[in-house]
Amino acid sequence: MGRYIVRRLIGSLPVLFLTSVLIFGILLIAPGGPTARFQQNPRITAEQKEAFKKRWGLDQPWPIQYCRWVGVCNPEVAGNIVGVLPPPGALISQQGLPNFLPAGLGGGDNGILHLDMGFSITDGRPVSKVIGDRVLPTLVLAGTAWVLWVTIAFLTGVYAAVRRYGFFDSALTIFNYVGLSFPVFWLGIMLILVFASTLDLLPVAGMWDTRTVPPFASERWFALLGQRPDYVIIDLVRHMILPVITLVVVSIAGDSRFVRSSMLDALNQDYVRTARAKGVPERRVITKHALRNALLPVVTNLGLEIPFLFTGAIATETVFSWPGMGRAFIEATSRYDYPVLMGILVITAVLVISANLLADILYAVVDPRISYG
Amino acid sequence: MTTRLQPDAAPASLPAPGRDPEVILDVRDLRTYFHVMDGTVRAVDGVDFRIKRGGRLALVGESGCGKSVTALSIMRLIDQPPGEIASGEIWFDGRDLLSLSESEMRQVRGGEIAMIFQEPMTSLNPVLSVGDQIMEAVKLHQEVSAKEARDIATQALRDVGVPAPERRITQYPHELSGGMRQRVMIAMALSCRPKLLIADEPTTALDVTIQRQILELIKVIQERTGTALLLITHDLGVVAETVDEVVVMYAGKIMETGTVDQVLLEPRHPYSRGLLQSIPSRGRRGQPLHVIKGVVPNPFRMPAGCKFEPRCPYRWDQCKAEEPRLYDTGGGRSSRCWLYDPRFRDRMRRYELEGKDYVPPAAATELTA
Amino acid sequence: MAERVIRAGVELTPAEVEELELERPDYEVQLESLNQWQLAWRRFKRHRLAVVGSAIFLSIVAVGVLGPVLLHYDFRVIPHANQIVYAGRAPSWVSGNWDPPLLMGETARLQRDVFTLVVNGARLSLVIGVGATIISVILGALVGGFAGYFGGAVDWVLMRIVDSLLSLPLLFIILVAAQFLGSGSWFSLMLIFGAFGWLGLSRLVRSLFLSLREEDFVDAARAVGVSDIRIILRHILPNTLSPIIVAATLSVAGVIIGEAFVSFVGFGVELNQPTWGNILTNSLDFIQQGNWWWAFFPGFAIVLTVLSINFMGDGLRDALDPRARI
Repeated sequence: MGRYIVRRLIGSLPVLFLTSVLIFGILLIAPGGPTARFQQNPRITAEQKEAFKKRWGLDQPWPIQYCRWVGVCNPEVAGNIVGVLPPPGALISQQGLPNFLPAGLGGGDNGILHLDMGFSITDGRPVSKVIGDRVLPTLVLAGTAWVLWVTIAFLTGVYAAVRRYGFFDSALTIFNYVGLSFPVFWLGIMLILVFASTLDLLPVAGMWDTRTVPPFASERWFALLGQRPDYVIIDLVRHMILPVITLVVVSIAGDSRFVRSSMLDALNQDYVRTARAKGVPERRVITKHALRNALLPVVTNLGLEIPFLFTGAIATETVFSWPGMGRAFIEATSRYDYPVLMGILVITAVLVISANLLADILYAVVDPRISYG
Repeated sequence: MTTRLQPDAAPASLPAPGRDPEVILDVRDLRTYFHVMDGTVRAVDGVDFRIKRGGRLALVGESGCGKSVTALSIMRLIDQPPGEIASGEIWFDGRDLLSLSESEMRQVRGGEIAMIFQEPMTSLNPVLSVGDQIMEAVKLHQEVSAKEARDIATQALRDVGVPAPERRITQYPHELSGGMRQRVMIAMALSCRPKLLIADEPTTALDVTIQRQILELIKVIQERTGTALLLITHDLGVVAETVDEVVVMYAGKIMETGTVDQVLLEPRHPYSRGLLQSIPSRGRRGQPLHVIKGVVPNPFRMPAGCKFEPRCPYRWDQCKAEEPRLYDTGGGRSSRCWLYDPRFRDRMRRYELEGKDYVPPAAATELTA
Repeated sequence: MAERVIRAGVELTPAEVEELELERPDYEVQLESLNQWQLAWRRFKRHRLAVVGSAIFLSIVAVGVLGPVLLHYDFRVIPHANQIVYAGRAPSWVSGNWDPPLLMGETARLQRDVFTLVVNGARLSLVIGVGATIISVILGALVGGFAGYFGGAVDWVLMRIVDSLLSLPLLFIILVAAQFLGSGSWFSLMLIFGAFGWLGLSRLVRSLFLSLREEDFVDAARAVGVSDIRIILRHILPNTLSPIIVAATLSVAGVIIGEAFVSFVGFGVELNQPTWGNILTNSLDFIQQGNWWWAFFPGFAIVLTVLSINFMGDGLRDALDPRARI
């Protein structure tokens, strides 16, 4: 089993590498190029421009730029071999050790590996800070939605499979069809229309009440949380309800159907017939025999769903003005702020690949055919 | 966890079913239909047979003739929405299985009647260990501790000839070969000492050499434990080796019954005759292979008269017009063919068949359907 | 001069021969011979939802084709400019004001007629959806086919590329590509969706090819000397058509929804050419002011279209299932 995990880990490395190359490609196709920000900001002096260019090696061929961006190459060392590859000296940091090591251990301090993703074109802040501010709101929203949707999809899918053709099953099928046909953003708009605007039950947008509550996860917010926890929590929940529902509804529609068909497949298997022929009570047939086998494809699918979590989050955050990474992505794209874009993409890619890896490992744990076979 | 229900105190006026201590299974006029989009399929359409305690009977026929559905109906494993056990009685050890509640039936399944299936590959749950699955059966029907269940399971594996059973018990189905898996199925079936074992094509999916072993195993165990055997198969060779009595089915109905020797050596129905003639034999080298012309009828468009009539070499208008009953042909045999109706004795005489004559029945009486 | 018929040493009279029906064929075989597609069509027709879905979808297509002809949208013209209502007038059947007659109300600010917009938007939304799918299918089938058929290094390299592209949520890539590379025309958007939509399809085609190439008919073709390309195109590919058709149908739905969002946030088609997505741009801002119709009707059009496509896709899936009988 351990060998399987190691093999999968090593197998994801080429994918990670290729993905990073693809993301890096954005730098190259970005309109206006890497020096676009200078046109917009008159306060940058000529020396600063030169230093910037040097630091990012913008006059170098792009393989070297890529290495610097990743953090494998030291930006202080100039020059190149054969016009393409970085010189060996570039791989060593100022402290004399491989550049990709953490700064505290003697490595460099540039590049993705050191969490240095450049500076935002919009306001000059480090990208890592820009993203850092936005991660938590997205986690709160997407995380809650994910837990809810997985649970509900699982329960409803299994129930619909067991009571096939029953009322619940038909209702679920209808719900599935309709839910899959809604664009996420439009569902959000409609929910706002009905519940926030017309009925005035819930807030229209945002993550907190700007009039009475400090920004989420700021010091003042925590302070208020300490003093009036119920008020702060309720405020948060009220703002979360509609976006979470939006995300959950569309996701359930896809997943519960899949759970249902997976469960139906399992229930049709011969070994279920054998279990019944042995006299196993129907309930145990479902839970012990069918469910465990039905779970296998569902679990893998969960891993593949992670990209959708991000996609759904973009639409939801945009419509509800939720201050998360998804909305940051949209804002960055519309402003051509490619460093922020690339930063978000890198984080997303890492998360997606890790999630797939975890799903594979989980699958191996649950299915004895893989681990022992 | 077995509660032996008291056999129904059947009033003396009830006929033989359930009261004959020699008979363990008595199926009477079983009809199982399937209601599907295009119509109703009469998978089992009036089937009667009896199995004695410790006896061995085979249901023989082509695919689709209803033999598997008969077995599943006995176990009440038919999905009732599309399927329906429309009528009939299934007397097992003094009780009509069709009148039992679901929880009573569940105790019968596995504990008193056990069933093994055709595909050992897929009939075992791949995510549970072999021992786990056997112990599940044991614990359902016997009041034993976990340790005792484990011992019983190990012993059951040993009984079916699985080497090193203590090790095998923790293994998963995919680690075993096909023959081994079928042995596990048999061990699982017999671990609770059932009175009747139903084997649905137990060797069809196995290699020929393994087939022999498994059949031998079934016979030996069955004799040793006194379990009755209902064997479902399309393979006449298997029938010859394993059972005493034969019931030939076609299109949901019984075509012929008798002992193995009677039916296989001297078939008294055109269908059985056709089946036996189709077996290639060394004696007929160089001659064209005999086939039963035609195909099994479309279940939605069954012939109105005798179901076998379109393919029968001996048919005449009577066969098309009306369906024959099951006629007693003497010596405990029966045949569903107009040729055995006393009215048509002359016709029998006119049919001279290659090498074998029809034996005119000594006294042809009707078995009322 | 009838032949003498002898059975087991006994000569039968003509009457007996007649009775035994020895001369006639045993029975008439009546078989309908239908090819795969005719069978599928039959099964499709029986699927009520699919038929309904197809009807709805075809109507929408008709609207898309004829609508712009009958109700031409010119972005330079502001209809009903006689009265300025900043938040846009409500549909006539809500406000009771049938002068001017408004089926779906007006947008805010520029007061465009929503009905005209929706009718005109159908065309581009559908074209982008179908066009992008066609591109994706061709690319995906090619790449997946090659990877699946040749296997080995070719497969490994191609699939690593696909995997890495798939590590990023598709919408992310499309948004960036649309904004950075797109020109605001429907054509470039269609190309972008097509250029990135083939990834999922290639995986599907690859797994199909992987299993099909083990089939005996491939060996048989090779044994006769058929070249690899011909085997791929003429032998294996036709067998993969069914799942591809189903996947393509669902892809159209996906692209329509995707394009809607990309245009909604402003990265897609420019506002002078309406699509259901870009009609919705900014509509959210005016909901508070009471204008619900602007956001509702275009979105509803999307839902209706996608729903009908999903019905059709389901029907196709059942109809083309190779394991189905009858």
